[in-house]
Amino acid sequence: MTKKVINKSDISKLLIDANNEYNVYVPMEHIGGDVLFSALSKEKNSLEEDVKRINLASEKTFNSPKEIFYPQLETMMEYNDKGEIKETVESSKKLVFGVRPCDFHAIAHQDNFFSKNYEDKYYLSRRENSLIVIIGCNTPPRPEACFCTSVGTGPFLTEGFDIQLVDLDDYYLVEIGNEKGADFIKKHEKYFSDPYRDEIKHAERKKLEAEEKINLKVNFNKALQIMKTEEIPQDNLERIAERCIECGACVYVCPTCTCFDVFDDVKCGEGVRCRIWDTCVFSGYTREASGHNPGAKKEFRAARRYEHKLKYDTLETGISGCIGCGRCLHSCPVDIGMSNFIKEITTNQKYH
Amino acid sequence: MKNDYIPYPAVIESIITESFDTKTFRVKFTDKKIADNFSYVQGQFMQISLMGTGEAPISISSSPSRKGFLEFSIRSVGKLTKKIHELKVREKMFIRGPYGKGHFPFEEIKGKNLIFVAGGIGLPPLRSLINLIMDNRKDFENVKILYGCKTADEFCFKDELKAWNKIPNTEVLLTVDKKTDDWTGRVGVVTELWKDADIKSDNAVAFLCGPPIMIKFVVQKLEGSGFSDKNIIMTLERHMKCGIGKCGHCNVGDKFICVDGPVFTCAEVKKFPKKDGAM
Repeated sequence: MTKKVINKSDISKLLIDANNEYNVYVPMEHIGGDVLFSALSKEKNSLEEDVKRINLASEKTFNSPKEIFYPQLETMMEYNDKGEIKETVESSKKLVFGVRPCDFHAIAHQDNFFSKNYEDKYYLSRRENSLIVIIGCNTPPRPEACFCTSVGTGPFLTEGFDIQLVDLDDYYLVEIGNEKGADFIKKHEKYFSDPYRDEIKHAERKKLEAEEKINLKVNFNKALQIMKTEEIPQDNLERIAERCIECGACVYVCPTCTCFDVFDDVKCGEGVRCRIWDTCVFSGYTREASGHNPGAKKEFRAARRYEHKLKYDTLETGISGCIGCGRCLHSCPVDIGMSNFIKEITTNQKYH
Repeated sequence: MKNDYIPYPAVIESIITESFDTKTFRVKFTDKKIADNFSYVQGQFMQISLMGTGEAPISISSSPSRKGFLEFSIRSVGKLTKKIHELKVREKMFIRGPYGKGHFPFEEIKGKNLIFVAGGIGLPPLRSLINLIMDNRKDFENVKILYGCKTADEFCFKDELKAWNKIPNTEVLLTVDKKTDDWTGRVGVVTELWKDADIKSDNAVAFLCGPPIMIKFVVQKLEGSGFSDKNIIMTLERHMKCGIGKCGHCNVGDKFICVDGPVFTCAEVKKFPKKDGAM
C-alpha cells in the first residue's frame, strides 16, 4: 500500500483547495461545542470562518456521516397543481473528510441496503461521486461505549478504504487504499511527502496502542450465534421496554438505521413530497389507517431493532447491522444500548 | 437509474359505488407509452398518490386477463382514501408499481378445487384472481367463494357476486355479522359458512384475505377440514410508505410484505415471528 505523510498545518489548505472541486464535509464545531459533519462554505469569507471551526482532533463527532448521503429530511419530488412532477436528485461531488472506521463499515452497509432489489436513486446519487477520507481512532471517541474491537470494525481499517489517516501528533500518515484515493493525492501532491521508515513504524505502534484503549469488550460472535438460533428471553425485552422512554435517540444516531416516513406538503399550488427518518421504536410506526397496529406492544418493538441488526442482517449478508460505534448507549438517557443488550444475552447478568 | 418513487398520472374512466364506504375506480395511464409497457400479475398492488395529500398501497382488484385498464376498490378510511373518494370521472390520480414478488399462483392451481374466504375489504385483492379464473373457468374444478361482512350494505361487487354464483360448479356464500331488515341470509362470522358449504381439502387450494382475527379462525377451520399449510394462501396488509423494501414499515421477521409478499402461503406466515402479529 502506498503511504505518504501530510503536516497537520496543511490540512486546512488541502481542504480549501479541494473545496473548489468537491463539496467538502468535515467535522466542525458548532455553538455549544457539538462537533458535527458540515459542509464548508463556497463563499470566501464564510469559508475562512468555517475552516477555523474544523475540529478533527475532537473525538466527539456526535452524528455519524449518514446524513450526508441519507439526510434526515430530503425532498423527493416537486409538483404543481397542473399535475407536473419533477424529481429532485442531488449528485454533487463530495469529499467526506474525517470519517471514523466503524462509520465507514456503516456506509458499506447502507450502500448494500440501498442498492439491493430496487435501487434507491436518492441515496445512490448522493453517494455516487464521493471520496471518503478515514481518520483512525487513536483513542476511542466514546470511551464508555465504543466496542469496535469486539465487532471487528476498528479502531483502524486494513482495507476497502479510499484514504486512511493515522494521527502521528504533528503529522498524519496517509494510507492510500485505491486508485480513487491515489488520484486525489496526486492532484494535491504539493501537500504530501514520502514517509520515513520511523514514521511508518510509529503508525503501526499507534494502531496497536489504539486497540488496547478500547476497554469495552463484548462477546459479539456469541451474541450473533444466540440471536440466530434462540428467541430473546421475554424478561429481557420487558425490562428494556419498561425503561425505554421512546425518544428515538438510539435510532437517529445509529449509522445503519434506514427507516423513513414519506409526507406531502403544499403551499400556494406548489408542493413537495419529502422523506424523513422514522423509527421502529415509535408506536405509530406500524399503525394502519384502520387503527389496527400489529407492532403495538413496546417489548416487541424493542426486540425488532436488535433482531434486525444482529439476526436478520447477519442471516442475509453475513455481516451484522451493528458496527459497534456505541452511539446508542452514548445517547440513551436511560442507559439502554446494544452493548448492554449483548452483555445480557451472552452472560446471565442484568445490565438493564 | 430509474427512480421508483416517482408516480405517473392515471385518469379515472369510471367509478362504481360498491357500498356505503367503498368505491371501485377504473383508471388508465395517461401516457400511452407507459400504458403499453405496463403489465401486472394477480395479487400485486400499486402505490396510489394524490399529490399534496399522500400515498398508500392499494391492491389491484381487476384481473390481468382484462386488459387496458386497472381497477382499485378502495374503502374510505384515512386521510388519503377519503380524498380519493371525492374524485370524479376524468380526474387524475398518480400511480406507481406494480409491486409484490409474492403473488397468487395461476398455472400451478389449474385442475384444482378452489376456496376463497374473504372478510370485508378483503375481497378486492382476491377478485383479481377470481376473475382471472372466471375467464379461464374450464381449467378449474369447483370454486367456492365465502364472503363475510359486518352488515349487508358492506358487500362489494354485488352484481359480480350474483354472476359468479350462476356459473356452473361455482358457489358464492355470504354472511353478515349483524342482521338488518333486508337481510334473509346467514348471520354470523365467515367460519359459520362451513355449515352451508361442503369444504373438502382433496385437490383443493384456499385463498384468504381479511382482518387478522378472521385469518386466524379461518386457518383453524381449514386445517380442521384437512388443508395443509402450503395449500392455504393469503394476502397480507401492512402500513407501507415505499412499496420497494426501503422504508422499513412492513418488515416482518426477515421479510418485507411489499417486496416478498403481499401473498404468502400459511406455511411461510407461520414462520413469521409471533410477536409481529401476522396471525
